[in-house]
Amino acid sequence: MRKITIGGGQGFWGDSNDAAIHMVQNVDLNYLACDYLAELTLSIMQRQKLRNPEAGFAHDFIELMDDIAAVSKEKGIKIIANAGGINIAGAVKALERTVRKENISSYRIGYVLGDDLLPRIPQLLKDGCQLSNIDRDGDFLEIMDQVVNANVYFGREPIIDCLRQDADVIITGRAADPALFLAPLAYEFDWSEEDFDDLARGTMAGHLLECGGQVTGGNFDYDWRSVPRMDELGFPIAELTDDSLHITKAPDCGGLVSEQTCKEQILYEIHDPSNYVTPDVTVDLSQAKVEQEGANRVRISGVRGKPGPDQLKLSIGYHAGYKVVTYLSYAWPDAYEKAQHAAEILLKKLKRKGVHYEDIQIDYVGLNALHLDVAEMSEDLIKNTNEVILRIAIRTKEKKQAQHLIPEINPLQLNGPPGASFFGGRAKVTEVIGLWPTLIPKDAVKMESHIVEVK
Amino acid sequence: MALVYLNTLAHGRSGDKGDISNICVFARDPNDYDYLKRILTVERVKDHFGNMVKGDIIKYEVDTLCGLNFVMKQALGGGATHSLRLDTLGKSMASALLRMKVDTDW
Repeated sequence: MRKITIGGGQGFWGDSNDAAIHMVQNVDLNYLACDYLAELTLSIMQRQKLRNPEAGFAHDFIELMDDIAAVSKEKGIKIIANAGGINIAGAVKALERTVRKENISSYRIGYVLGDDLLPRIPQLLKDGCQLSNIDRDGDFLEIMDQVVNANVYFGREPIIDCLRQDADVIITGRAADPALFLAPLAYEFDWSEEDFDDLARGTMAGHLLECGGQVTGGNFDYDWRSVPRMDELGFPIAELTDDSLHITKAPDCGGLVSEQTCKEQILYEIHDPSNYVTPDVTVDLSQAKVEQEGANRVRISGVRGKPGPDQLKLSIGYHAGYKVVTYLSYAWPDAYEKAQHAAEILLKKLKRKGVHYEDIQIDYVGLNALHLDVAEMSEDLIKNTNEVILRIAIRTKEKKQAQHLIPEINPLQLNGPPGASFFGGRAKVTEVIGLWPTLIPKDAVKMESHIVEVK
Repeated sequence: MALVYLNTLAHGRSGDKGDISNICVFARDPNDYDYLKRILTVERVKDHFGNMVKGDIIKYEVDTLCGLNFVMKQALGGGATHSLRLDTLGKSMASALLRMKVDTDW
């Protein structure tokens, strides 16, 4: 029976390239797909591009291709990545340079344009789209002047178009993460628009692979100590036939693929398990099964599909003010009490100086900065704690209001409770980007597939 | 009555979409799943998180995986860069839930 093997090479922008390189060198993959885009990534890339017109894509991908372009071409492994971010042309150019440098001939770079809808927002509004926020109340017109980027999540079709044109590599912008994986599977198995269960199975392969090491023993709550050689953590590989889906990993590397590693990932960032909506298909996981079939080999079954949505998700990032985070450390004895006293001093100073903030957060790192209200704060623990780091963060409308907090921190080393240490350099004010997810009609989006060949 | 941390009976993972945090929770032993399904009510989870989660919580059950999925709105202090929390993406929300104390005599 025909089998297609696809690897997941990246979990996010900034992930390690080690596992992808190992996988391409040691496994006879058909495809490698790499997901670089989290929710906010495109807003950050847009800001980078404004400062430098050649930036705005995941340069890490070009560095990965320095290592794997030649070997993947030789082995016939095709690569798909949403590394183009907000500057797909820039990513294609950078990759062309790599391909020339490596002396690879007849290399076909496919790329997909059309997800950047920033210039089309006025037209969408004119056409009657409300652009309402699907997560909360509010009127889009209130943030319209603050919009940083607007990118629509698209599905498999334009990627398949590139595959039909015999692309060796395909670079996209905001393809839905699992579509990077579904596209080559649907292409190879020739799944039609109505093959909902197959499309759902391919989407689930993508969902399980798109976070890289999270399904091979990374971030593994069940028993992280049991994961071998995390320093050489292998990334996941999906093997599909006409009617099956298995998750495994490369040989000769660390990591673990087990029933539990797959379970923790299968519901990760999914809301209603019976209706996981993607541009290609709505996936029903309510009958899904995860079974260990061998060492580092898990079978996924029972995944069903239903028709996908009529609308696509448009992710809009908008400027939402500024924030600054500051830290001061305190040691035993009475570290917590000292840190609390320092926080009171700072609050009084901010009040006296009339600093306006929209939100403030005061935490004590080492005690409750992660688990917040749920953290255990027993008297004994607090009394005997060796050290505490006071963390104060404020969010403001104006940049200068956020800046007011910074010069108040350092003097507390000499002017506050004893033993305070200011560290990490002077705090920096950063921009806050808000997310405005909305829905638009499918037919409002026109994607384009292109190929450029490096001779 | 013996109280244990929920993480002795269950494991899980948390993820984010904007200001929404979802926590999936799986029974370590399938025999405990029905018990977990019964005791981990929306009210109990809401009560556990207190002010940390300001919006509604929806609970989903996937029996074939012995898993529950809690989708919690306004749970991340505004979400992504809006949030002033150290853990803006709520990576530690799963362990925060799994430190709930539960009764083992059922």
